[in-house]
Amino acid sequence: MLNKVCVLGAGSTKYGRLNEGIIEIALDASIDAINSAGIAPKDIQAGYISNVFGVSDKQVHMAPVIMSNLGLPGVPGLTIESACGSGSIMFREAYANIAAGFYDCVLGLGVEKITHTGTIQSTTLFSYCSDFFYEGGNGASFPGLFASIARAYMAKYKASEEDLASVAVKNHENGILNPKAHVRKKITIDDVLKSPMVASPLKLYDCCPFSDGASAVILCNEDFAKKSGRPFVEVIGSGRGASSAAVQGRDDITTIPSTVAAATQAYKMAGITPKDIDFAEVHDCFTIAEIIDIEDLGFFKKGTGANAVREGSTSRTGEIPINPSGGLKSKGHPIGATGIGQVVEVFEQLTGKADQRTVRDAEIALTHNFGATGASAAVHIFKRAE
Amino acid sequence: MESKAKTGPQESPREKFIMAARRKKILAKKCSVCKHLMLATEYCCEKCSSREYETLELEGTGKVLTYTIQAVAPEGFEDAGSYAWVVFSIDGTDLRVSGFLPGVISPSTLPIGSRVMVSDYHPTHGLLLQKV
Repeated sequence: MLNKVCVLGAGSTKYGRLNEGIIEIALDASIDAINSAGIAPKDIQAGYISNVFGVSDKQVHMAPVIMSNLGLPGVPGLTIESACGSGSIMFREAYANIAAGFYDCVLGLGVEKITHTGTIQSTTLFSYCSDFFYEGGNGASFPGLFASIARAYMAKYKASEEDLASVAVKNHENGILNPKAHVRKKITIDDVLKSPMVASPLKLYDCCPFSDGASAVILCNEDFAKKSGRPFVEVIGSGRGASSAAVQGRDDITTIPSTVAAATQAYKMAGITPKDIDFAEVHDCFTIAEIIDIEDLGFFKKGTGANAVREGSTSRTGEIPINPSGGLKSKGHPIGATGIGQVVEVFEQLTGKADQRTVRDAEIALTHNFGATGASAAVHIFKRAE
Repeated sequence: MESKAKTGPQESPREKFIMAARRKKILAKKCSVCKHLMLATEYCCEKCSSREYETLELEGTGKVLTYTIQAVAPEGFEDAGSYAWVVFSIDGTDLRVSGFLPGVISPSTLPIGSRVMVSDYHPTHGLLLQKV
């Protein structure tokens, strides 16, 4: 029998180009989360840290450095890497350890610092997240991999470049309302279509930015959460999935098997269906990804996701709001932090701290985050505590 | 259980794949238990977990399934000019492979379904393709 797991606090730095070093960014978010939960650092029994490119800022073995600087040199930490899915996959491990009863209260912290490396170096580092022998090593960048997925999707389902652009326009509308978002700028379909080509058919505004940033949450068991007397959110579903690491290994390039598997597990554990979700934070590293995500998560039938976005079904006031935070596209994508940033958004939404971007009457929310082109994925479902 | 391989026993599966590509071939494995066909770089059958297999050299020809042309290339490809990164299906099989197709400037010149073939293995650009 698993223990119930709750999120008691959440904090985040601004996402964007940050001047501080990676450890300072990480500590800022951690202190925010500790304050949000109303706990003391000594209440934390373990630290789970997600990060990908720490080596570029001269720090690996990051967990003990962070724990030491939080005044917790004797508290065990673990650093987890799963490319762009590192945050949610780390959250799953933290969740599992609370659920299994190993700990009562832990820190889940995601952090990334990448903008200091410049566009070419960042593009190269990201390409190491692919199945390099077949992808990065044959010249594919990450925008290129998703562009190849977009081309296949557009050919199969007759989606247009305008359809992809409508995802970017919607997420930028949401991101304007998020004070911590990297790109707070209203854009039009025309802006997207006229932006420079990055990897055909994806243009600059189809792509999320390279971002620095950190997000942190405090996970605990139900007793610990209730004793705090503070508002909290319960984790009611958790799922992990995997896909062939290389795009070429998938029978259908227009779906991401790891998403489908993780979502199926999470819905089953929660005892709900996609219709019960009030809003979702999904992995929109590129506009095409959000269209595929909302189909793979069961919100829309295969091939109809683009139409749903165009008709406004996924806007903040639509049938199923997607990425009210602005998503990776506008809020930003510090890849080690992204999956935890989604949980921060859910926590703020479900505890009444999302201000202008609040999704009205939301009680149940889903987060979805994957690594690389979906080689690894995690889905979590959260419920506002009564 | 290897047979038909023209490479020496000392090379790794990836090295053997590269040597075959230099002969314009794709090196594959056929599972001896369930007959599943896979690229020779895989160690175990994903259908039945068997490690018993027959090595096959497939003609490196096929049809483009999808691709992209990038404005920003990763390090090592700065000198490559405009190129496409291509996923193609190998003729007569369900296998798919990815490669580097130089000289592609516009999507209008590479419709999905275009025919390509393996032409070599480039020391820095990987599995080299050419249009047929």
